[in-house]
Amino acid sequence: MASMLLSQVANGVGIGIIYFMIAVGMSITFGMMRFLNIAHGGFYLLGAYVGFELVQQTGSFWFALVGAPICIGLVAWLSEPAFSVLYRLSHNMQILATLGLALVIQETVVLVWDTVGKHVAAPGGLVGAVAFGDFVYPRYRLFVICVGVVLAAGLWLLLERTNYGAVLRAGTQSTDDIELLGIDIRRVFAATFGLGAGLAGLAGVLAAPIRGVEPFMGPEALAIAFVVVVVGGLGSFFGALAGGLLIGIIQSTTSVFWPAASGVAMYVGMAAIMLIRPRGLLGRA
Amino acid sequence: MSRYGTNCAQSTREILGLIATVALLPAVLPSVSLATECVIFVIATLGCNLLLGRVGLLSFGQGIFFGAGSYATGLAIVRLGAGPVFSLSAALLLGSMVAALIGSLAARRRGVYFIMLTLAFTQMCYFLAFGMSGVTGGDNGLLGVSRPPLSFLGTTLLPLDSDLSFYALCSIICVAVYALLARVTGSPFGAVLVAIRENESRTFAVGYNPLAYKILAFVLSGMVTAVAGGLYAMFLRFVPLSNIDISMSERILIMTMLGGVGSLFGGVIGAVTVVVLSHLLSDLWSRWILLLGLVLIVVAVCLPGGLWSALQWIATALRRGVIGMSPRRAHLPLEK
Amino acid sequence: MKTTRRELLAGAAAGIFCPALLKNAFAADATRICSVLSLSGPFSSAGKPADLGARLAVRALASKYGLSAEYVALDDEGNPGRAMPKIITAAQREKIRFFSGPVLSSVGLAMSQAVANLGGVYVSSIGADEVTGSECRKSTFRWPVPSYGAIQQTVRPLIGMLPSARRWFTVTPSYVFGEALLRNSKAIFKELGVEHVGNIDHSLTETEFSGHITNILAAKPDVILVLNFGPQTTNFLRQAAEFGLKDKMKILVAWGAGLEQFSEIGSDVLDGVYFGLQYWHDVDTPKNKAIVELFRNEANTLPSWSMVNLFTCNDLLLQGLKKAKSDDPQEVIKALEGLTYEGPTGEENIRPFDHQCVKEYYLALAKPASKKKNDADFVDIVSSGRSFVEQAISQCRMT
Repeated sequence: MASMLLSQVANGVGIGIIYFMIAVGMSITFGMMRFLNIAHGGFYLLGAYVGFELVQQTGSFWFALVGAPICIGLVAWLSEPAFSVLYRLSHNMQILATLGLALVIQETVVLVWDTVGKHVAAPGGLVGAVAFGDFVYPRYRLFVICVGVVLAAGLWLLLERTNYGAVLRAGTQSTDDIELLGIDIRRVFAATFGLGAGLAGLAGVLAAPIRGVEPFMGPEALAIAFVVVVVGGLGSFFGALAGGLLIGIIQSTTSVFWPAASGVAMYVGMAAIMLIRPRGLLGRA
Repeated sequence: MSRYGTNCAQSTREILGLIATVALLPAVLPSVSLATECVIFVIATLGCNLLLGRVGLLSFGQGIFFGAGSYATGLAIVRLGAGPVFSLSAALLLGSMVAALIGSLAARRRGVYFIMLTLAFTQMCYFLAFGMSGVTGGDNGLLGVSRPPLSFLGTTLLPLDSDLSFYALCSIICVAVYALLARVTGSPFGAVLVAIRENESRTFAVGYNPLAYKILAFVLSGMVTAVAGGLYAMFLRFVPLSNIDISMSERILIMTMLGGVGSLFGGVIGAVTVVVLSHLLSDLWSRWILLLGLVLIVVAVCLPGGLWSALQWIATALRRGVIGMSPRRAHLPLEK
Repeated sequence: MKTTRRELLAGAAAGIFCPALLKNAFAADATRICSVLSLSGPFSSAGKPADLGARLAVRALASKYGLSAEYVALDDEGNPGRAMPKIITAAQREKIRFFSGPVLSSVGLAMSQAVANLGGVYVSSIGADEVTGSECRKSTFRWPVPSYGAIQQTVRPLIGMLPSARRWFTVTPSYVFGEALLRNSKAIFKELGVEHVGNIDHSLTETEFSGHITNILAAKPDVILVLNFGPQTTNFLRQAAEFGLKDKMKILVAWGAGLEQFSEIGSDVLDGVYFGLQYWHDVDTPKNKAIVELFRNEANTLPSWSMVNLFTCNDLLLQGLKKAKSDDPQEVIKALEGLTYEGPTGEENIRPFDHQCVKEYYLALAKPASKKKNDADFVDIVSSGRSFVEQAISQCRMT
């Protein structure tokens, strides 16, 4: 039982780290621009498909792993001025517009790549599983956890130790004050938006060998990002990390004790946390 | 129309407009069943409009009420062999109870947190309906819902088996609900709801309990939406699980926002437009959802007041051009 | 002022409804055959090939049978609530009486009821037992083998083939169809004295199976019987391969989706997995040869199960129309009852008492990429047969 619980926690961390990558972008864009982006799942979807296409063209998963997130990030960064129209809208209209955008992205993907799902193979060295006695864990998932840890550390350094990070953190408190300091907030917005999208794209590529690539993976990612962001607290980096891991672990441990409920467990958890701690685990009061 | 409620002459005109629309729909649409679907979703949209337009609460939970109403009506007919009045009352009752429960939990939170909470409740209720397959039929749906005739003391007043008579029932309920909601939004109660939307803490400060008002609005909205769900069950003659899932909430929200929340009549336009367009477009092109997505973006960015505000704007322009009257202010989006 | 608004409304209405009016004007005399399929939404990956097969059947076979028929595709959006209004409208507006499809059982069960109310004929392409069981109807027929036969023709022969594999584990999606498969499997386990060491119920929306796989590993079974289908099977197999399950135990997928699914998964993951199949393009029957030829010439593709399923459903409607020499639904129903015909799996016939087609179900074993003769040569058929619920124990009470 103990080893099984350990396995489930390891699984949960593996899933959770991907959830973190999806959610952190949404969290910081909301914290900074007060922009609720329903189309965020679209970046995850595009990341997976661009990754698939790069693997097809170049034959290298590694190239896709680096190329796809950069692609998505660049496109988001460049198109940010178009999105900025939405910042001025009420949250309700932001939801309507980005809901529309999510549908447009999804249907465009269907037009380009068809509805039948695609397969992305894990790179050669990461096929198979490692075993420690009873404890079995796929190599590829270990790799995903490593990428996640490196990425989280990198992001933390970016946020805590760089100028950009300082501006970003300040921006989630008050964008007006930053503008008073003479910083061009527009460029910070664009960079943040691109960064968030790129991270969601990376999550898409990383998830591709695990769950395949299909046009309707966006809404699922969105629902998870929502839950993670709310549980962790909107606008909080560590909140997204803690939320992602927590939701991943809740999901995989309920699958031991009550398999049929693993789909709904995270929503129950989220509602409970929200009713007890309205601003999430680590959200600003 | 004033910013804080609907004046009487305006609402009478709107109700006349609705009666005209309802009378015209079966004639202009290719089938009565399409018209029936329109009218049922008009009712659902009215319920949503009350929350979103008046109180400013964007709830992803409308599908719960719709689904609860569907199951209540469906079960009353299938299990108890009840008539339409009892079955729809069951929907009304269950809808208001569920709405009271969800409202009292969700309305404690504001903004994005409120939205997320309603989303979580929708998912939970979906899984609940899915899991209770002994009662709801689970994924297969609740089959065998008939349309019992409307009767009083054993005399059949209106047999609902024909499509036109069922349409008539839906239309009457639709107009009645509209009149009721127009009355509510025009009342002092409606004014308090708008006050909460505009400034919750100030409303509290002048002595109203915003939470109680929000819950009441939820109950009213849940009742109306559940009746729509009940009619939909009778219309389809079964209850699909999709009546209670997130896409139903999304659909009702899209209709409401597309039509515009500034006026109850916006919901009428939104529901009819979405039902008819989705029917026509999906026949022509299986990727029609792409077009729907584009329409949503355009409306959100260019027409925050929805299609209703566009109609108002055109009407104003025409009046100015034709009659030369001074233009009334075009309707502005209310929430910000 | 009032008139202005009414005029506006009328004008707007006329503008919106114009295409509908135009469409009505084009109504022709041909018998219309309507296939209800998921052309948009999450199940369109199965709906699109089905549409191809359905279309091809009407195009190629109607003239061959000397009929004038027209194909109408209806998008159910993967949602019975969206599908039913469209079906009712199609019947009202275009007087359609002949239906086939869909992809999802929930849509199919509701369709069966709706078409019966409309006074039409419906040939179903779904697997849920109820269609020709407890919910059977005079106007409903069904081509595919339901869950009972699928389990009888996969679990039973595999137990025979692997006499040393005594510990079986099941993976079941928690909804009606999955539970029916599970019930049938348990009956066989009990009958043949095989140990059922565990079962996992997962929701229909699950995409992440790693937690479940850990549970399976802990139970140390010899065979995993996978009772989910479509995208969930794909995800499960991928993740099972990732955890190295294939080296430790056999995997049997009772309800395989066929060619499209195999190409999506790829032979490296498929290798060594057993599949239950409704149809396979390599099967050597005269009708199947003709079908493969037809699909190659007309659509430049190999026929998959999704395609042939709808192809055959529409073929049956056309054969009924031909034999009845009338487009009266009642006559067509009479013509179809008891019909024996040349089907894709050999000679098939429609049982009069429950309107179920009696056809083969196959057990196939996937082979490694190195042994494939061509790109589509994913599996070898290892056994096949026909098992259907006897009339005495059938739940079908047709009225």
